[in-house]
Amino acid sequence: MAFLDNSGDIILDAVLTEEGRKAMADGTFRISKFGLGDDEIDYSLYNKNHASGSAYADLDILQTPVFEAFTQTNAGINYGLLSLTNVAILYLPVLKVNEKTTVSNTVKKPVSPSSGLFYLADTSTDTTTNLLASTALVSSDKFLTSDSSTGPAVLLESGLDTTNVAGDAANKSTYLVANNLVDSTFYVYYDNRFITSVLGPAPGATFDNTSLGTSGTPSLSYTLTNAPPVTTDLQLSNYSSARVSAGADGVVKNSSYSTTDTNVSAIAGPRASFTLLNFVVKPNLDTEYTRYGSVSQDVFGDSVLYSYIDTTIYVQGTKTGIQAQIPLRIIKYISG
Amino acid sequence: MAVINYEPLDSSTDVTTTVTLLYEAIPLTGTIVSGTYSDENIKNFTHGMFQAVYDYPYLSSSANHIFDLAVGYSSNSTVSGSTSVTQESKKINMYNEFAQVLLGYTGSNNTVREFEKDLNLDNTGSIRNAFFVNFSRLITKDQIKKGSFSMTIGTGSWADPFRDAAGNAGVETLTDASASATGGTNNTIGGDYGLLYTTGSTVRGVVFYQAGIAILSTSSWDGVADFNSSSSPVYSYNTAQSLASASISGSCDALRHRIQNISFNNTTEINSTIYFCRVPHNKYNYSANPTYVSSSEIRVKSIASDTPISYITTIGLYSPNNELMAIAKLSEPLRKDPSNEITLRVRLDY
Repeated sequence: MAFLDNSGDIILDAVLTEEGRKAMADGTFRISKFGLGDDEIDYSLYNKNHASGSAYADLDILQTPVFEAFTQTNAGINYGLLSLTNVAILYLPVLKVNEKTTVSNTVKKPVSPSSGLFYLADTSTDTTTNLLASTALVSSDKFLTSDSSTGPAVLLESGLDTTNVAGDAANKSTYLVANNLVDSTFYVYYDNRFITSVLGPAPGATFDNTSLGTSGTPSLSYTLTNAPPVTTDLQLSNYSSARVSAGADGVVKNSSYSTTDTNVSAIAGPRASFTLLNFVVKPNLDTEYTRYGSVSQDVFGDSVLYSYIDTTIYVQGTKTGIQAQIPLRIIKYISG
Repeated sequence: MAVINYEPLDSSTDVTTTVTLLYEAIPLTGTIVSGTYSDENIKNFTHGMFQAVYDYPYLSSSANHIFDLAVGYSSNSTVSGSTSVTQESKKINMYNEFAQVLLGYTGSNNTVREFEKDLNLDNTGSIRNAFFVNFSRLITKDQIKKGSFSMTIGTGSWADPFRDAAGNAGVETLTDASASATGGTNNTIGGDYGLLYTTGSTVRGVVFYQAGIAILSTSSWDGVADFNSSSSPVYSYNTAQSLASASISGSCDALRHRIQNISFNNTTEINSTIYFCRVPHNKYNYSANPTYVSSSEIRVKSIASDTPISYITTIGLYSPNNELMAIAKLSEPLRKDPSNEITLRVRLDY
């Protein structure tokens, strides 16, 4: 995949994708809309303080070489451009995983053996029992259990992750609600070779720091239910998607609280919404452990053997397009 | 990940179709046809009905098929029924196969039409003894461009095919000079054909443009005593004798021996759908690109009233089910802000 020649006029290089060719073959090819992307752009190159003046602020961006079009759909548009009507928006929300220890019944990444992964235990009791051992993950908030509707779950929050705007209710209304930047649902993309479905919060789930008195103690209440699958532009081979609902994130800043809002929330400023995730592991994954993962490994150095597969979950706001990736290790006890 | 914001395309105002004809010049030098590869690029078949010519020794995966050669004559030809014939039925079959596909049948008895040296198909000026040069679709593409065909052949002896008996240049350049996109051709069931003239305006054959087949009369070599010659076994045939007594591949060898040059322009018809992707001033000014914000603050702004800016590099064309059907890339990022509207013209060729 080469770069396009950018020495002359602006040209367009267009190709049919694999999906487009397939549609051509089965007679269903139809184009009804378009979207725009800027995947190659690194906006950190925008230099507002360029020595030669503001006209030069985007010089480096405009010189960014652009790849040729290629046919795999997952190499299409990963980050689309947004059509927000208010031109005076200075802050856009982000999506983050909340691993605050003050919030109970949520899953945190263990520090060891790898600090970069969330663990998902398969449904066997043996796996759960062994992961709870003092030589393994120790506590139940360090791993998800497949198909558990009561938690713990991965907690995600969206909002303005800035200290420039206080996370109070007024700013939430001004910066988020008024600009239509609050997601009420999220797309969850998962590898359907290993995971059969996604669990999201049932209606009535709440997350705030106001309902348990005036100390700012967090309150998270939920049950999980199967999220409905959706048909959308997956762009990733073997990935399916589901739509999980989101609740209004009720964590606010209040200077009188003894527990500060940033000790409760992963978002530093006004919070928009939250959601929770768990997954249902596909039964009988033994072949997949061999093919895509590792088999009978001493993961925790305690002579207990596990098989595991590492995969990635993608979460995307259906309104704002904000995204988060959740690295996930599906693990199964074998022996020891 | 899924694109969140789409812009609809109105099929009546935003989509149009065009047809473009693309021409390529195809030069074939005679040394490739006969000489360069010591005939390792010539494939003969056990059935012996035609000979395939490649641009490289045909056992190599790099070889491309460029044309086939065959000879044949009509059952009405004076050659037909002559003594000491070789492969007569196959030669008549080859003639009839080309004729029935390209010209069809005529009369109440549905007899196969014969090729003629005119555009009338009036049963006069028949070409009853013919060489067939059957070009591969790889090089003719959709059709040979009318008025572009040229073939230079030697009219000399076997030993010195490109000189006459007096030692002067003995070549004829056959062209379809009178044919063009607007006339000078006749339309038959095999497509349009034009006449191949010498520089002296004598008709030596015809060329079928869509089929990519040139049919040469043997009249170019009427005065040549040794059109086809060999020292082992010893023989020396004029064209009539060659047609009657030599094998098809032997006569094809004699023709190849005399091809100095062939050139034409091929034609590729490109059907295009053009999508006018109109980007309004008030849309697509923000981005979901993770680098667009730093601590949630938009990097291209200092204060809220600053103009939002995005940079377009990619256009995705989607089905009603949000499936990415086609993708287009700009050669350089295009700045988008609320002060401009952009129409991106995306062309898909079929």
